[in-house]
Amino acid sequence: MTRHDFSERDIHMALDGELPGEERMAYDAWLEANPEMKARSARYIADRAAMRAAFAGVMDEPVPARLRQVVLGEAPVKGPAWRSRWWLSAAAAVMLALGGLGGYVAGIDGIARGEGDDQLAEQAIAAHVIYAAEKRHAVEVPASDKDHLQTWLSNRIGLKLVAPDLAAEGFDLVGGRLLPAGDQGKAAMLLYEDAKGERISLYITAESSETSKGTYTAETGGPEAVYWLDKGYACAVVGSLPPERLSDVAKNAYGQLVAGISS
Amino acid sequence: MDDKKAAILSEIPRLRRYARSLLRERDSADDLVQDCLERALVRLDNWQTGESPRRWLFTIMHHLFIDQMRKVNRRGEAAMLPLEAGEAQAAPADQVETIASREIMDALQAISPDRRAALVMVAIEGFSYAEAANILGVPAGTLMSRIARGREELRGLLDDTSRRRSIRIVEK
Repeated sequence: MTRHDFSERDIHMALDGELPGEERMAYDAWLEANPEMKARSARYIADRAAMRAAFAGVMDEPVPARLRQVVLGEAPVKGPAWRSRWWLSAAAAVMLALGGLGGYVAGIDGIARGEGDDQLAEQAIAAHVIYAAEKRHAVEVPASDKDHLQTWLSNRIGLKLVAPDLAAEGFDLVGGRLLPAGDQGKAAMLLYEDAKGERISLYITAESSETSKGTYTAETGGPEAVYWLDKGYACAVVGSLPPERLSDVAKNAYGQLVAGISS
Repeated sequence: MDDKKAAILSEIPRLRRYARSLLRERDSADDLVQDCLERALVRLDNWQTGESPRRWLFTIMHHLFIDQMRKVNRRGEAAMLPLEAGEAQAAPADQVETIASREIMDALQAISPDRRAALVMVAIEGFSYAEAANILGVPAGTLMSRIARGREELRGLLDDTSRRRSIRIVEK
């Protein structure tokens, strides 16, 4: 019992095995005398156990061949584009961090807006008119990088986005881009193309607080939007197809989107 | 195969675990490990034979991680937020995550990279303060304060998560 001025700092040191052995007994006595500190110590011990348990499985996973190959000098030469893709997910993680706190508040306040239908359809049509006409710069991320496209857009718009497979309708994914939605929200645009070069786009956003559905065409003509609004997400399918065809494609796309969001 | 390469191979599981705790997502974590191994092999001469390659490899990986995190922050990408990224991010396919594991993984991602690295290095990887301070290239006092702040922040986030969960239950 040479020391009696323990503090919270010693809880960390004790936990990390950095407390000198001769102080251990005095420390334990101090914990007993300070229920609040004892409870804190117990929580940290439990958190550490949970952390270790959460990552314990990694040690048992087989080592991926590509990592072994690097060490053994058998790795194929990578193109410069490969370098360091992992930081993209690091960026997403930073967002997750902030989103975890900010989203909580936003979720409670809710977003009450009334004229959702027209606004959604107009924005979806405007995006389609601008980008579907672009041959080389229609999308920011091409379909060849589909996994990244989905992860990126999902993280940005706050919905789990799975790009629908519209091959049965004759449409293949071209790629996607991030767009503004509403006053300060974000939307994902997915662009599809058929064999004749006809394009349709899907416009998906989490910025929706009403339930509605319908079709919309600007008074001046142009492409039509088939849209659905639900609480928490909204989707519009835009194109210049015959109405019945567009409706079929839209239903198929919508069904897959909803399945993806709630998966 | 020479001894050096064999010793490096045997460290891969630990490197993967550390990378996973830093980045969460499996493929990204393995990309980081791959970057680390490539750099290590180029600098094989920097490593003194007879010494465990563990600290050397962790140091290389930590530098790669911190450099990239700083670049990400400078780009300002962190300002764009999803509402429920935890739900948006797919869980690793081959790993069944319990709710408790998922919550602690999410919470770890939510604390600053410096604190996360310090905490994980000591609490999961089992390095001493002296070793961890050396790997991270910071004074022992800085390391200790990162660990303490990291733990407090992590606990606060977990408390928030359970509060949020109970609010949701009440709302239903």
